Parts: sequence; structure tokens; C-alpha cells
Amino acid sequence: MRMKKPAVALATAALMTLAACGGGGGGGTTDGQPQKLDEGGAAGSAKDPDAEGPLPMPEGMQEGGTITVGSDEAPTTFDPTRAYYTDSTAILTLVTRALTQYVYRDGEMVLVPDLATDLGRPNSDNTEWTFTLKKGLKYEDGSPVEPEDVAYAVKRSFAIEELPEGPTYNLTYFLDGDTYKGPFQDGDDYRGVEVNGMDITIKMARPFAEMDYLASFPQFGAIPQEKDNPETYGNNPLATGPYKFSDYKPGTSLTLVKNDQWDPATDPGRIQAVDTWQFNFGEDLNRLQNEIINDTGEAQTTVNYDNTTPATYRAIQEEDPDRLVEGTSPCTYYWAMDQRRITELKVRQAVGWAFPYRNYWRSIGAIEGVTREGSPTLLPPGTNGRKEFDAIGNKGIETDPQKAKDLLAEAGYKPGEYELSWFFENDDPLSVAGKDQVVEAFEKAGFATKPVASTTETIRTDESDNDPPVNMITSSGWCSDWPTGGSWFPAQWDGDLVGQEGRPNPSMIKEPELDKEQDRIIETLPAEETAAAWGEFDELMMTKYYPAVLTGYSGTAMIHGSKVGGMENDNLRGGPTYQQMFVTQ
Amino acid sequence: MGIGPTETVADHAADTPATAQEIAGRSPTKIALDRLRSDKIAMICLGIVVLFVLIAIFAPLLTRLFGVELRGGVPIEDTKADSFPIIGPPDYGFTWEAPFGLAPTTGDDNLAEWFYGARTSLFVATVATLVSTVIGIIVGLLAGFSRGWLDRVITFFIDVFLSLPFILVALALSPIIVSRFGADAASLERWSMFSLLFVLSALTWMTLARLIRGEVLSLREREFVQAARVIGVPTRSILFRELLPNIIAPIVVSISLGLPTFVTAEAGLAYLGIGVAGIPSWGQTVNRAVDYFSTYPVYLYAPVIGITVLVIALNLLGDAVRDAFDPKTRR
Repeated sequence: MRMKKPAVALATAALMTLAACGGGGGGGTTDGQPQKLDEGGAAGSAKDPDAEGPLPMPEGMQEGGTITVGSDEAPTTFDPTRAYYTDSTAILTLVTRALTQYVYRDGEMVLVPDLATDLGRPNSDNTEWTFTLKKGLKYEDGSPVEPEDVAYAVKRSFAIEELPEGPTYNLTYFLDGDTYKGPFQDGDDYRGVEVNGMDITIKMARPFAEMDYLASFPQFGAIPQEKDNPETYGNNPLATGPYKFSDYKPGTSLTLVKNDQWDPATDPGRIQAVDTWQFNFGEDLNRLQNEIINDTGEAQTTVNYDNTTPATYRAIQEEDPDRLVEGTSPCTYYWAMDQRRITELKVRQAVGWAFPYRNYWRSIGAIEGVTREGSPTLLPPGTNGRKEFDAIGNKGIETDPQKAKDLLAEAGYKPGEYELSWFFENDDPLSVAGKDQVVEAFEKAGFATKPVASTTETIRTDESDNDPPVNMITSSGWCSDWPTGGSWFPAQWDGDLVGQEGRPNPSMIKEPELDKEQDRIIETLPAEETAAAWGEFDELMMTKYYPAVLTGYSGTAMIHGSKVGGMENDNLRGGPTYQQMFVTQ
Repeated sequence: MGIGPTETVADHAADTPATAQEIAGRSPTKIALDRLRSDKIAMICLGIVVLFVLIAIFAPLLTRLFGVELRGGVPIEDTKADSFPIIGPPDYGFTWEAPFGLAPTTGDDNLAEWFYGARTSLFVATVATLVSTVIGIIVGLLAGFSRGWLDRVITFFIDVFLSLPFILVALALSPIIVSRFGADAASLERWSMFSLLFVLSALTWMTLARLIRGEVLSLREREFVQAARVIGVPTRSILFRELLPNIIAPIVVSISLGLPTFVTAEAGLAYLGIGVAGIPSWGQTVNRAVDYFSTYPVYLYAPVIGITVLVIALNLLGDAVRDAFDPKTRR
């Protein structure tokens, strides 16, 4: 999944192991800050296939009320098939139910059934998954939710031309995923999904053990075919959850009101406490956070899901630390180095040693140990099968210009000879400050630098160009969609993605060795061995090719008003747990 | 308002009989300057403005003198884990190492930034004022003196420019400059400075042009102008030797009011993120500092006080200049 911030594309993750994963994060801070991000890595690991609704209503809850949610970002789409950003998928959990879902329990996100009666039943080799739809489910207009609607939603997810940007695992794993182009082009005739009574069976082209996680995406909800219009459905998706769209102005605001057709008894993951959700997008972050800190009037029931600025972080700790929600999000930021342009491994490693990790984080307003932490591996802590290693030996945090110079010399370059170029946002003071730090550090390490100015509006387009005037892509990052490397490498580091529209493989890495190994893991390994194999793959790719400077694991720090209850960190998306929030008395 | 040279002198002479014997030798400008000199507020304001000008000119020297460095901060050495500076406000007392404190997150010195901000501010304001004044004078003179189609064409263009929304043009121009010159830091800096000056001056000359056109319309029918035409003085000479000296007062007033306007406009545009990126500017500092209003107010106060004091001084000075040049003001 992609992240809400243009700065990083990412996804949600769940973590299957409880393995504490301290190690790698290393480096630490000189200021004695605890390594919070590493500790939180194991959250969201559990599954509970037997969970049943309704959820008990929380204590101290006030009936009704409105929760206002603000952000300086704006979700791009609310079409369930397309929603792949952390913010839009999180907000959609209130509106559209999927086959499975996550519920917040004692600090972790637990995978529980949603529209389905359980978490799906795979056959012995994970090539067929069967979900049984609950009985008595209704849409907001009172019409029943049919298993055919879920089957249609599955087919709809193949229509990536009409409905771009969504998760595309189905293309890789589902039967005929490479040939079926969705119901709008190829009609209803798709062999990969079958309906039998209330059962929906999804057939795979290759073993796929993580379907229960993937089924939690809005993509795997219910969409009635007769009410679908791919161009407008996202402006008012038919609600199956506790809230429905009342007013949506794309890019500006979204108002959700109670859906009286939703039955809490069928839903083990949501409550319907407040009357109205008011989402305001594109807000002035500073004003919004100040209002929440001051906590008067409407601000008492206001939430901001962006990370706090350093100023806000300090202010809220002085005012009322209880209103600060901190946690993890299993995501890694990186600066991808274009393999076609920075061809020598030694040079790439030199960039890794030259990068001013801690200076960069601080200058862009990230808080070390809270919203950013050193990342020696691509897979973030807590990922199942993650192998601890140190890609270039700098623990993901150390900067050493001398080592960089030496590596450059070994590669045969004199100081100032090798030019690094990347985009920055000229109209964002933080981006400019970060650029200044990186320029200084790179030049100190013997590189020539050429930062290319872009703007907040255009940087995404500039960076998704397959032939940009730069050799590094900076707004990169990813979060797990489920807790193994299976949601990482095929999505961004697959040679087949090179050259595709939108630059899905930012580093443009296309190594036969890596692609063969990926195929081997996907095609031949039994399900229980894949997780560890992805961990090994991480080490292989990062130590032998080092296609990206890993610039840190991410964390979350959000604030809310004093009358907002039930707000925890959804550590799958790095956002609030909307589905369990309420207004306090 | 036009000032007939003879009237002015006569008026003024009536006011100050003590200097009666000097009447003959005093030009209107000299009289105005004398008035200005006796205005205490004007002199204080002038002193402040001169001080700012000196700061702007000697910014590099001053930063060395105070032992500070422009944009020399090292984030992890100069700020703590929570991004606040390691010395000086807000957590510690005043220190000469950083008299205005350090910027949070980057650790850059605020005083150096302030000195150089004054430089940007005054440079932009001065250049923009000069350019817009020169354009205004020339266009105004031409429009006022030429009759018929040329006057109508020029007036039409004045109206067209008056209808261009200043902020919108600035907002529209900025991304164009970035996409065109983004690849080269030096030319981006140069061109964004140029576009800033262009926006500021190209969209502000119209008021002066209109004012001067009106003045010239009434002056050109005066006897001294007609006399000049009769004896065959070329139009250029009439415009610049006969008419221009008579409209010096509105020009001086326009300059004195233009300067503070441009100081605030530059800061405002920089605050909106469409100023000159990469060059220190008070507006950019304000933009960064508003986040820290509650936690680190001094960070915000420095540029705000700089802008406020300079603008007030320029405005009061401008008022005094206008009073001094206005023959109808009595002291």
C-alpha cells in the first residue's frame, strides 16, 4: 500500500511473529532516547478467526456527537478497488467492509473476520481460498449483500486500466491474473472466482498463503454490479459498514453519517458511536495542530492523523501528553538509486556512507526515535522471517565521508567527479532544508551534487517518470501489506516492473539473479518457508546490489482533542483506529 | 497636486519672514528638504532606515563581527533530540554565541539569517521601487503629454495591468520558473529573484503612471509649456526638463510609500513560499517560525520585529516627505 504523504509510498502490514526484533535498528541517539520503533515492531501479529460481533460499547462513551478529522493531505480516491494509500483505506474501514478486517486489541491489531464468517479456508497447497459470506448483511439502501457482489469486486480488481493505483497482487497470484483485464473489458467470464451458495472461492495461479491478509483490503468488499460505474463509484461507495457517505467534496471534505442498515452483531471490529464523521482535507497543518493543542470548542473532538511537527510534539507533552498517540508503522523510507545510471556497487555503497541520516531526519522535521529510526535492512522490524543484517555496515544510521571517499576511489572516481542528482520540493522549506543537508554531506564525501527543483504539486509526477533528469528517486518508501517480504519484493523490486507506467520499481533494478530467486520463492517454496526466504532475499539484494539508501523506519505520533476516546495507533497504517473511536462524556 | 514653482516659494516665504532675504535662491526641493530636516520624527525614522541599510550592506561583515555563520548549523550537533536548539532560547538563557538563538531542526544561526534577510528585503524593495517608479514616470509622461490614440492605448494598458491580480500572477509564475530552471540551482536562484522583482515592479507602476498622467494633463496647458513648444523645444526636453521637475513631489511620495509596501510584499510572498528559495529572507523565516509560536516565540519575533520597525520607519518617513513636499501643509 502507498502512504498518504507524497514523500513515501507505502502499505499496511501485519506482523505474524511475536519475535522481538531489537537488533538492527541500532545506532540509537546520542541523547538517550529509547528505541521505541524497534520495540513496537511486533504489533498486529495475531489472528482470531472466531471473533464475533458485536463489540462492547466502550465505557465513558457519550452517545452521538461529531468527530472532526483533519489532515494537510487529501486522499486521492475512495473507490474501494483503487484505495491503496494508508489514509483512504483507513477511512474506508468505516464505510466499506471487506472479507476480513483488523481490530485493535491491547496494543496490537488482530486480523478478524468481517463480511466472511472466518478468515478463509485455503486448500492444502494454498491455491484455492474459500470464504463464506455472513447471512443478513445489507447495503445502506437495505438491499442484501450477495456473494456475487464480492465475486464482482474481485473481478473488478483486475480492471487496472479503468481503476488504477490499487493493490495488484491479484495479477501475480490469481488464476489468469496476467490475461484477465476486468469486467469492463473482458466481461464477467473469469475462471478465478466461483460462487457456491454463500461460499466464494478464489483460485490461484500459484500458492498464495497470505490471502487472508490481502482480503482485508477494501478491494475485497462487496460491490453490486448493477450499481457500479467505475468513474463515479468512488464518490459514493455503497456502504456496508457503520457509516455512509453523506457529502464528499474531493480534495476538500468528506462527511459520514450513521448507516442504519449496519448490524453490529455481524461485525467483530467496529462500533457505531458518533453520529457524524467530518473529514477535512488540505488543512493548514500548523493551524490544525495548534487548535488541537489549545483544546477549546470543536477542537476537543478533533483529530489530526498527520505526524506531529517537532514544535507540536513538545507543546503537547507540556500541555497534555495523554492526547499524544505514538506508535509504529511497519514502513521503510529509502532513496532509490537508478540502477541504469549508478551502475557500480561501490559508488552506491559510497552514497550509503555519505548520506547524512540523522542530520537529514532532523532538518525535515522528523523526530528521531519517534517518527524515524535507523534502518539497516529493507524489511522493517517485526516482519515475519526478517533477517537481521547490516546492508553496508553502517547500522542504517552512521555517516562516514572518509569511507565514502575510499569507496569512490576504489571505483575509480576522483572527488567531485561523480554527480548525484535528485528532486526536492522548492516550495517546502523542510524539503529545502533536507536538500541542503544532503548536498553538504555528499560534497563532503567527494560527490558532485545536482539537486533539481520541483514543487509539492509536481514531485510525484516528476519522480514516476521512467526517464527523469536525476539518478536518485527520493520520495520512496513502502509498508508491508502483510507481514512477510512477499508484500515487498514482488511489488517494488521485480525486474518485470522496470519500464512500466508510473515507475513501480523506483530503483529500476533488473538483475536476473534476483528475479530468478523471487520466482523460486513464489513458485516453488512451501508456504511456511517463504517468510524466511524473503528475509534471506532482503540480505542478498541489499548486500550484493544495494539499490537504495535506506533512510529509516517510520513511526507515528498523532494528537487528538480531549474528548476523543478510543484513538489508538493503527500500526498497520500509521493512523487512528477510526473503527473504535467515540466521543467521551 | 502640482506645485507651481512661483506659488510655492511665495507661500513659503509668507510663512517664514525671518528668512525673507533668501527667498529668491531657494528651489521647492530645497524648501522641502529644509522642512524635512526640522521634523524630529522624520529624522529618527531616517536614522533607523539608514541603520537597516548599513546592516544590509555590511551583512557579511556583521556576521563575522558577531562570530556567527549563515546557514552553518549541523542539525544533530546544534539541536537536541526534540529538535530544539542546544544553546540559547527557548530552553536556555541568552548567549553571545547566538544572540538571536538558533533555528530549531537545522541549528542555523538566527542572527546571521536576520542580517542577510535585511539585505534581501532592502535589495528587493529598492530595486522594485526604482523600476516601478521609472516605468511609472515614463508611461505617465507619455500618456499625459501625447494626445489622441497614443494616450488611449497607454491608458488601456494601464487598465489591463491594473486588472491583473498581483498574488495570482506571483503564484502562477513561481511553478513555471521552477519547472523551467529547476535543474540548475544557480540559475533557479537568479531567475526566481528576477521573477520576484518582475512581479513586484511590473504590477505596481500603474498607480504612479496614472497620477503623473493626471498631473501632466493639467501642466501641459500651462504657459511655460506652451511657450517652450512655440520656441521649438523638442518634446523630449519638454517632458524631462519642463514637466518632470514640476511633478517631482508625487514621485518622491510614491517612492517613500512604495518602499515599505515592497518590504511587506517580499515578506508576504516568501511566506507563501513563492519568494526566492535558497536566499535568506525575513518572510521565509516567519514561514518556518510560525510553527514554533508557542514553543519558541523568539524565533518568530526577530523577523517580525525587523519587518515591523523597518516598515513603520519607512512609512513615517514617507509621511514626513509627503508633508514636506506638499505646499498646503502648514507648520
